[in-house]
Amino acid sequence: MALSTLQKKQLVAVTGLGLVGFVIAHLTGNFLIFKGADALNDYAKFLHDLGGLLWAARIGLIAMFVIHMGLTANLVINKIKARGSNYAKFENHAQKPSFSARIMPFSGVVILAYVIFHLLDFTFAEKSGIINGVDQGLYGLVVTSFMDPLHSAIYIIAMAFLGLHLSHSLQSIFQTFGLVSVNRLNTIRTISTAIGVGIAVAYSSIPVYVLLNF
Amino acid sequence: MSGESINLKLKVWRQNGPKDPGRFEEYQANDVDTSASFLEMLDVVNAKIIKDGGEPIVFEHDCREGICGSCGAMVNGKAHGPKDKVTLCQLHMREFKDGETLVIEPFRARAFPVLKDLMIDRTSFDKIISSGGYVSVNTGNACDANSIPISKENADKAFDAATCIGCGACVASCPNASASLFTSAKISHMALLPQGQTEAKKRVVQMVDQMDHEGFGHCTNTYHCEGACPKGISVENISRMNKEYLKAKLKG
Repeated sequence: MALSTLQKKQLVAVTGLGLVGFVIAHLTGNFLIFKGADALNDYAKFLHDLGGLLWAARIGLIAMFVIHMGLTANLVINKIKARGSNYAKFENHAQKPSFSARIMPFSGVVILAYVIFHLLDFTFAEKSGIINGVDQGLYGLVVTSFMDPLHSAIYIIAMAFLGLHLSHSLQSIFQTFGLVSVNRLNTIRTISTAIGVGIAVAYSSIPVYVLLNF
Repeated sequence: MSGESINLKLKVWRQNGPKDPGRFEEYQANDVDTSASFLEMLDVVNAKIIKDGGEPIVFEHDCREGICGSCGAMVNGKAHGPKDKVTLCQLHMREFKDGETLVIEPFRARAFPVLKDLMIDRTSFDKIISSGGYVSVNTGNACDANSIPISKENADKAFDAATCIGCGACVASCPNASASLFTSAKISHMALLPQGQTEAKKRVVQMVDQMDHEGFGHCTNTYHCEGACPKGISVENISRMNKEYLKAKLKG
């Protein structure tokens, strides 16, 4: 049975929501950096010691990522065909789509590129970093990485795109599942933007903290 | 009553037939009365083209009072022109400035093939309607008009959805050439009323499937359509369609 565009959209929304859950869980883990080296390293060790469970979670995460992107790519190919020939001139009416809505495809690609960079940068990297002559493991790796302003800048820019992506996508989920009524639309949009900005700021606080304190 | 007059340069899409690749041609529209409608302006331009021995610009029109949904073109990149909540026939030339250049092209979508110049084939909309846009009616004597109670709120929302004239501006303005606003308006207008419940599940599934089948794109919630709709149909209808569709699919 072929999926309709509507079902594909709803699957993109469900997997997207799952990924937002991961983003929030990841963020709470990251905040342990403020408690110091031991807190972060112990948490990393705890995750690693989960073994099979960790891999189950990773496979689930990869599956969500693949479905999210695969269906989006499929819909994008379909929409290019749907227009047929392009307009010589195209402008928005007074009611403009938000900036975050317009750059969704771009922000998505930036996030994908960043995820690959991030995996190579931290996840698969050797967990060591020397601070004041002592190897402080993962904590050391994170801190020494962010002491490089360029590294921090890449991270903050990527998080800004994540925030923009979420600003549009969270409110989009409500629309895609039909949970929007006209009266609540503006409230949902405001909350969605607040969460998007909040997540970007929260993640960015880590490199800012490192740059200011080390 | 005649107002001021302005001079305009028109860049109009000319296409001899569905297979012709088409091209823009330029026309000078001089002494255009600002109280004329956009279509009346095209009529005057066409009269001159015919007088000069050319082929007039083909555009669709019928009622010329904004309710039939026949007319429509992109004017300077906007469906039905720069003014919100009007069809092309209700757009007046006072909205334009003297000396302006207007780019006029047809609504573009794979499901709306150009027949000639600005005229497009919207059979795809008819097919969406016929796939499920109907209600069952019991035969026999006509029943009392007010025998079925309907809440004021639902009656209003159904009526708002029913004001869709099927012009296709939503598809034309959508970056994905999606027919979601049109289809959802037609679904909502029946899903909100007790008379529409018998076929509710079948209707939403069939109409959405037909919409895909016709080659329209998907909705990415950019809401260009609501801004371009001459009747101000709300994207709340798309939300309702999504919910109805999910309900129908989950409950079978």
